[in-house]
Amino acid sequence: MKNIVLDSTSDTARRYEHRFLVNEAVARLALRTSGTYLPLDRDDRPYQWSTTAYLDTYDWRIFRAAETGQALQLRVREYHRTRPNEILAGGSVYLEMKDDSASTSFKERYEVPTMALPAYLRGEQKLPRDQNGLVERAERTIAGGVRPVVVTQYNRIAYSAPDASMRITADHNLMYLAVAWVANDESSMPCRIGPVIAREPGVIIEVKWFQELPRWADELYSYIRDHMVNERPSKFVVALRHLLGEEQKGLAQ
Amino acid sequence: MNDLAATLPPGSRTTPTSVVIVEDDPASADVLQRRLQANGMKVAVGRDGGEGLALVREIVPDLVLLDVMLPDTDGYDVCLRIKSDGAVAHIPVIFLSARGEVVDKVRGLSCGAADYVTKPWNAAELLARIDAVLLQARNARAPRLEPQAARPQRARPLAQIALKDEARRVAAEKLLAPRFDIARDGSNAVDLLLVDDGATPDRGRTDESTAVLVIAKGSESPSTEFARLDGDLARHAELLVREMRLVRDMGAAADVLITLATSLEAHDRFLMGHSQRVAARAVFIAGLLGLDQAAVGTIRLGALLRDVGNAQLPPPIVHKAGELTPHEREAIERHPLLGEELLRHVSPLAAILPIVRWHHERLDGGGYPDGLHAEKIPLEVRIVSVADQFEALLVDRPDRAAVSEQDAVRILQGAVGRGELDPAVVAALAAQVRTGGSVEAEQ
Repeated sequence: MKNIVLDSTSDTARRYEHRFLVNEAVARLALRTSGTYLPLDRDDRPYQWSTTAYLDTYDWRIFRAAETGQALQLRVREYHRTRPNEILAGGSVYLEMKDDSASTSFKERYEVPTMALPAYLRGEQKLPRDQNGLVERAERTIAGGVRPVVVTQYNRIAYSAPDASMRITADHNLMYLAVAWVANDESSMPCRIGPVIAREPGVIIEVKWFQELPRWADELYSYIRDHMVNERPSKFVVALRHLLGEEQKGLAQ
Repeated sequence: MNDLAATLPPGSRTTPTSVVIVEDDPASADVLQRRLQANGMKVAVGRDGGEGLALVREIVPDLVLLDVMLPDTDGYDVCLRIKSDGAVAHIPVIFLSARGEVVDKVRGLSCGAADYVTKPWNAAELLARIDAVLLQARNARAPRLEPQAARPQRARPLAQIALKDEARRVAAEKLLAPRFDIARDGSNAVDLLLVDDGATPDRGRTDESTAVLVIAKGSESPSTEFARLDGDLARHAELLVREMRLVRDMGAAADVLITLATSLEAHDRFLMGHSQRVAARAVFIAGLLGLDQAAVGTIRLGALLRDVGNAQLPPPIVHKAGELTPHEREAIERHPLLGEELLRHVSPLAAILPIVRWHHERLDGGGYPDGLHAEKIPLEVRIVSVADQFEALLVDRPDRAAVSEQDAVRILQGAVGRGELDPAVVAALAAQVRTGGSVEAEQ
């Protein structure tokens, strides 16, 4: 079978990942502090739009697993300089598999031609096996039938350590949107993004690291915790709760 | 990865944006050129107004970045020349200038520029402005079309002869005269348009019901679209016009069927007006999901006629207030098939047959009559199903009371969670209910 992968990255170890909803003032302070110690991830495009289509089965197997705190998320990510109104319109996309637990994650990321995506979703196109077994797990889920169910869009500013040991991001204008997916075939692309399901009222700060946080980051982390609106589950979980009318469940926790 | 791909941002491996810079200072031009190239753009530089203008006309770029102070002219003049040249007027222009006074900016924008950025520029801001301008240029609205000419009732069909050769035009007019009136001027839509083989028909006086007949040049056999300038022309043309009228009349027949379907509901106080409400709701949802006009039209008609099969069932079963017996339920569940059978031979209604047949299917395969799963059910059908169930929940039924719109959405979200209904369709409905119908335009 033809190899469709244009590029790939792989986590070599589980990464700590904590998310917080904060107000604009806290976000500004966090970004100023991060900018003192870490370089901007993308020099000229600090506010590019990240658009992610999340996949799930028809019986919501991935979401239900994520609610228990242990799931393999499947998602298709695109980056644009201005906010797009459709998904899968470009030449390539990032297909990501993320083993997400309460506080750590493991990710495989493959850049693939957009036109190869429907065949992958139909289970006809395979990806090369990875060391962490995520590709194989994803294939088992895909065999049950998956399709894009929800889209997130946000402006991200990211500060990353040069050795990728830590990363602090701030997501502004985070929106959860519907996506009217027709079928897993090539004629379904590009697919127009539907109406907004919900918007985040503040800024989502994510702190991700592999080993140990340096002292300044540890202090920043504590500051954010002390001043956050609340701690957040993954965007996927929040999006699906809104989609299925289960957002009250999140508030109750 | 190839070289081009390496210079482009992820997710946008398409043709690079081409830019012409008009800048007389070599150092400034070089810095700008490098920065744009680093962001995946193809760049050409003109050192003065004349050279820049020549490059714009030669390359027809996606964007022009224009300095105001140039050695041979000023940037305002170059901008005005670009905007008055039909071949390149559509290209957005951004001024880049050290002149930062309000009057300079206003003058630049009044010359037709899309934006004005002052030097020294910041790369992130400049790129963001470039992106915004390019997006606006890509999304520019197409000019609005003139409204279609009215089509009055006529005793004899009206023909327009658009043949270039005078002799052929006269011959065609003579051949058609016994059965057609010939259009000389005026604005009424014509019933028949005669055109030369290979010519592009002038649609100025046509509408969707105009028959277009191509007059063959050589030995082509006469067919539905082709005819010869001979004694058979008038008969051939008349048949074609009749066929077009028949299609139009089929549309009218659909209106009759809608009347039939809705009159069935009129006898049932629980169903009265239900189809119209379902159709209106489904059309609104389809609009929110960005479906095109053709699909929206199909959805509207399908929603109105989806239960037309009930006309073939005994009224006591259709309007029964209490619980149905298994036999009665079996009968009721045949109405999609009966409806499809009724409409199958009305060719203009072919597009709505899936809605009529499958509007009781469910994504989990638990619906009827075919037990279709998931994406085997077309999106248009999924929209009508949701609108149907939602509207049904809003009215009292013998076995349950009406619920509020918010509660109805929650009930349908529950059905999404059980894998029965399409999540995007219910999300669009929820957005409509949440905002009272004025859903914000997200795109």
